[in-house]
Amino acid sequence: MPTESLIGYGAPVCVDSGSDQDGYLQGCTQVKCCPRSLYSLVNCPNFPPQLSAGPAQLSPSLSGLSLQSQTPEALRVVNLLQERNLLPLGPVTPPTPCLPQDLQKINCHPEVFRSTLTSIPQTQSLLNKAKLPLGLLLHPFKDLSQLPVVTSSTIVRCRSCRTYINPFVTFLDQRRWKCNLCYRVNDVPEEFMYNPVSRSYGEPHKRPEVQNATLEFIAPSEYMLRPPQPAVYLIVLDVSHNAVETGYLDVVCQSLLENINALPGDSRTKIGFITFDSTIHFYNLQEGLSQPQMLIVSDIEDIFLPTPDSLLVNLNECKELVQDLLRSLPQMFGKTMETQCALGPALQAAFKLLSATGGRVSVFQTQLPSLGVGALKSREDPNQRASAKDIQHLSPATDFYKKLALDCSGQQVAVDLFLLSSQYCDLASLGCISRYSAGSVYYYPSYHQQHNPAGVECFQKDLKRYLTRKIGFEAVMRIRCSKGLSIHTFHGNFFVRSTDLLSLPNVNPDAGFAVQMSIEENLVDMQSVSFQAALLYTSSKGERRIRVHTMCLPVVNSLSDIFAGADVQAITCLLASMAVDRSVTASLSDARDAMTNASIDSLTSFRTSVLTIQQPGLLAPACLRLFPLYILALLKQKAFRTGTSTRLDDRVFAMCQLKYQPLAYVMLMIHPALYRVDDLTDEGALNVSERTIPQPRVQQLSVEKLSRDGAFLMDAGSVIYLWIGRNCNPNFLTQVLGLPNYAAVPLNMNMLPELDTAESQRTRAFVGWLREQRPFFPILHVIRDESPLKASFLQNMIEDRTESALSYYEFLLHIQQQVSK
Amino acid sequence: MVLLTMIARLADGLPLAASMQEDEQEDFLNSNVPRATGHGHFETPVSTTRGRRRCLQAKLGRDLQQYQSQAKQLFRKLNDQSPTRCTLEAGSMSFHYVIEKGVVYLVLSEASFPKKLAFAYLEDLQAEFHEQHGKKVPTVSRPYSFIEFDTYIQKTKKSYIDSRARRNLGSINTELQDVQRIMVANIEEVLQRGEALSALDSKASNLSSLSKKYRSDAKYLNTRSTYAKLAAGGVFFIMLIVYVRFWWL
Repeated sequence: MPTESLIGYGAPVCVDSGSDQDGYLQGCTQVKCCPRSLYSLVNCPNFPPQLSAGPAQLSPSLSGLSLQSQTPEALRVVNLLQERNLLPLGPVTPPTPCLPQDLQKINCHPEVFRSTLTSIPQTQSLLNKAKLPLGLLLHPFKDLSQLPVVTSSTIVRCRSCRTYINPFVTFLDQRRWKCNLCYRVNDVPEEFMYNPVSRSYGEPHKRPEVQNATLEFIAPSEYMLRPPQPAVYLIVLDVSHNAVETGYLDVVCQSLLENINALPGDSRTKIGFITFDSTIHFYNLQEGLSQPQMLIVSDIEDIFLPTPDSLLVNLNECKELVQDLLRSLPQMFGKTMETQCALGPALQAAFKLLSATGGRVSVFQTQLPSLGVGALKSREDPNQRASAKDIQHLSPATDFYKKLALDCSGQQVAVDLFLLSSQYCDLASLGCISRYSAGSVYYYPSYHQQHNPAGVECFQKDLKRYLTRKIGFEAVMRIRCSKGLSIHTFHGNFFVRSTDLLSLPNVNPDAGFAVQMSIEENLVDMQSVSFQAALLYTSSKGERRIRVHTMCLPVVNSLSDIFAGADVQAITCLLASMAVDRSVTASLSDARDAMTNASIDSLTSFRTSVLTIQQPGLLAPACLRLFPLYILALLKQKAFRTGTSTRLDDRVFAMCQLKYQPLAYVMLMIHPALYRVDDLTDEGALNVSERTIPQPRVQQLSVEKLSRDGAFLMDAGSVIYLWIGRNCNPNFLTQVLGLPNYAAVPLNMNMLPELDTAESQRTRAFVGWLREQRPFFPILHVIRDESPLKASFLQNMIEDRTESALSYYEFLLHIQQQVSK
Repeated sequence: MVLLTMIARLADGLPLAASMQEDEQEDFLNSNVPRATGHGHFETPVSTTRGRRRCLQAKLGRDLQQYQSQAKQLFRKLNDQSPTRCTLEAGSMSFHYVIEKGVVYLVLSEASFPKKLAFAYLEDLQAEFHEQHGKKVPTVSRPYSFIEFDTYIQKTKKSYIDSRARRNLGSINTELQDVQRIMVANIEEVLQRGEALSALDSKASNLSSLSKKYRSDAKYLNTRSTYAKLAAGGVFFIMLIVYVRFWWL
C-alpha cells in the first residue's frame, strides 16, 4: 500500500487569499522599504488597502508618498535629558518590519523569532556605521496555543541549501519555486500540487507549508539515525549530611510522587535513581522485587554499574516500586553523618547509565563537590570583593565538567542542575555540565526547609513545571539565513557541532537562544532577506518532528531606515549575552565599558549621520529612547554590578540566565516593572477567560515614584515585591492584606490572603496573571520599611543613585558628554 | 544473542517498530560483571576486562549502524514474491525474517544463535503484533508508529535469551518449526541480487555482440579461403597449359 500524504491540523491558520492571490505571488519581489511607524501597520499610509494593484502603480505611489511623508514615529527625535516619562503605558512592543501587509501578516511571531534590527542594512559598512549589533533572538520550542502539524511522505526542501519551503519563497510558475535563501530554482514535486486543506489540485501556494511561518512536520524515516528513543529520566540526588539538613529530599520526592503520572512520555518511559555522598548508591527497581534494592558502589575512582539492566526501569511497569522508593527515600538518610560528596563520580555513573539510550539527568546538589574527579575548592573570598577591582573566578576551575558534558552531548544525554545551597558552590565550574549538554540551571540560594519557606514554595512550583513541561529528545537545531549574511556566534546552552548545527540532547520550552550575524556580501539587489530556524527533535511520545520558523525582513540602504527598525529590547538582550562572554574572556570592567560604549556609539552615529538639524541635549530616536535606560539597568544588574554586596554564585547564575532565558523573561530581570496597586480599578482591564485583570500603568523605577500612602508591586521576573508605604491607605491593608494596620504587617509575608472583597480579588487576579506570563514561579515578598529585603527592592530602583553607580540622569549626562565630544 | 529487532510494512518498507539495539549490547557485554545479591559493597572487577569491554562496545556500535542500514535496505527489497521465511547470513551475524500478513519481522542475531529459537521468537512477536496493531498497519504513514511495541519486544526477548526458559521453549516448539525448510541465503547476495541480474544482462548482450562479430569474421574467412582455392586452381591450370605447350609440343 503506498504511503498517502495525510495532513493533520492542530488548528490551521488560514489566510484568506482569494482575491489578492496575484499580489501574494508577486509580493516577494515587490517589497519596498520605507521608514514608517513602528506600531501602526494597519493605518500606515504607504501601504493602502488597494495594494494588489501591481508593481507599475505601486512604485510611483510609493516614491510620491516618501517625498511628502513626515518623519515616522520611530525616528521622532527625543531629547532624553528633558523627556521624563519614557516608559510606554503598556508593555514595550517590538517594532513591526516594513513588509507588505500580506507578508507581514504571516511573518513569524516576534515572541518566537526576533531580530535586533527589523530592517537589515545593505552592506557591512552601513551596519558598522550604525553601531548597532545585528543578531537574532529565538525561543524555538515555546509552548504555542496553535501550531499547524503536517504529515507528508516528502518534505519539500531546497536542493542546494536544504531550506524548508516557507511562505517567503517565490513560485515562478505552477511547477517551479525559487528558494528565498539561496535563490536556486527548484521543482515542485507532484505530491505538493495537491492541497489537502481545500482538497484541490494545482494550488501549491495554498499548502499549509506556504501559509504558515511556524509549523511542524512529522519527519519520515530519513530523519532518524536510530529508532526514536523513549523518554528516559534519571534523578541524581545529593544525600550528604548537608543535603539532608536542608530538607530538600522531601520536596523532591513529594513532587515526583504527585507528578509521576504527568511526566511526559508513553508506555516506554524509563526512570532511574542514583543517590550519592562519599559513595554512589544505585537502586534496583526490577519488576518482581518486593521492595527497591539499594546497591552501594564505594570505588569512586573507577565507577561501574552493578546491574545495568535493572537500574533504569519502565515507569509504567514498576510504578509501585518507584513510589515505594520515593516514600522511603527521605527517611533513609535521616541520620547520615557523611559530609563528603562525590558529585563527579555520580555524574559519570549517570552518564554510563544513560549512554545507551540518551535522556535527561536531573542533578540535585547542595554543596561544593569534595571527593573524586571534579572535586572543587572554594574560590570565593568575601574580603576580595571589596579590594580587587575586578571580579575573578568567573571561568571554570576545571574542565572536567565541560568534558563530561561533551561526552553526554554525544550520547544524547542532557544534565539539568538544581543547586540548593547556602554556601559558595562554584556555579561557574558546575554550570558547565548543563551549559554544553543543553540542560538548564536552577539556583536556590540559602535554601532551607524551616528557615526559608518562600524558597521552598518557589522550588516546589519550579519543580512541578520542570517535571511536567514538554520535552524534546535527541534534538538538533540549524539556523539558516539568506545568501550574503552569515551567523558567527551562538549564545545559549548547547554544543555547536559542525559549524552551524546546534546539538541539543534535550530541548525544553523555556530555553532561549541568540546568534550574532554579519553581512558578508552586499545585499544590493535584494529587497528582503529571510531567516529560518529548524528544530528536529523526538517528542516524548516517540515521534520525530521538525519545527520550522521562518522570518522575513526588509533590506534597507539608509541609516535612518536602520534606526527606524531598531528593536531596543532585542538589542539589549543580545548585548547582555555578548557582555557575559566578554566578562568571562576578558574582565567584568571591560564588559561594562563595552555596554556603555555601545549606547554612546549608536547615539553618536544617530546624531552625526541621521540628524540634519543639530539641537542641544542628548538626542535619540523614539525607538531607541529606552536604550540608555536599559544599559544602565544592565550595569546595575546582578550579573554586571560592582560593589561588595553580590555573591559570586549569584552573579554567575544571573549571567547564566541572561544567556539562556528567552527575551521576555530576560527583559523583566533587567528592567523590572513597577505598578501602583493600592488604587487598582477595572478601568482598561483585560478580560481573560472570564476573569477581569486590572492593568495599572508601569511606573518608572525611582524612589520618587513611591509614595508613603500607597502600595507598590515590583515584578522583577523571578521575584515579585509588594512594598507597603508607612501611611498606606488603611482600606488596602484591611481589604487586601487582611491586617488591621501598618504595624501588623509581618516581616516575612509571602502570600496574599484570599479575602472576599473586590480589592483583594483585583490584586490577586493581577498577581496571578503576572505569574501566568512565565514558566517559573516568582515568589511574592510583602515588604515594609523594616524588612530585610527592602535593600534588594531598592536595588532594583535603577534610576536612582547608589553608592557605586550613577543615577539615570548622571548616566545620561555622561553619555551626552561622550556623544558630543 | 539477539542484537536488533525491527518490524516494517512489506509494501513500502516503512519501519513500524524497533527495539533500541544498544540495550542488548550492554547486557551482552556486561554479562561477566558480578551481580548484586542484596545490600552491600561490591568487588570491583579487574580493570582489564573492562578496558576490553569498552573496546568491544565501540566496535559493535559501529557495526550495528551498518547492520541497521542493511536491515533498512532489506525492507525496501522485500516484496510479495519474496520467500516468507528466510535466514540471511551476514558475516558472523544472521538476519532472520518472517513475512506475515503484509508485515516483515526481522531479527539480527549471532550466527550461532539457534535458528529454531529465532523463528519461534519472531512467530511470538508476529502473533502479538498482529493482535495489537494488525488492523492499523495499512493506514499509518508515520515511521515507527508502533514504537511502544518495543516494551513487549524487550520482554519477549528476555525470555528467549534466558537459558532456562530457552530449554522449556525448545521442547515446546520442536514440532512447530520445521527449520530445515527455511531458505538460507547470504545478505550480500540478496541486497545485490538486482546488481547481479544487470551484470548478467550486460554479459549476455556482450556475448551476442561478440557472436555476431564471430559470424561476420567467419564469413569473411570463408570467402577468403574460397578465393585462395580458386587462385590455386587457376595457377595449376596455367602451369598445366604452359607445361603441355612447351614440353609436349
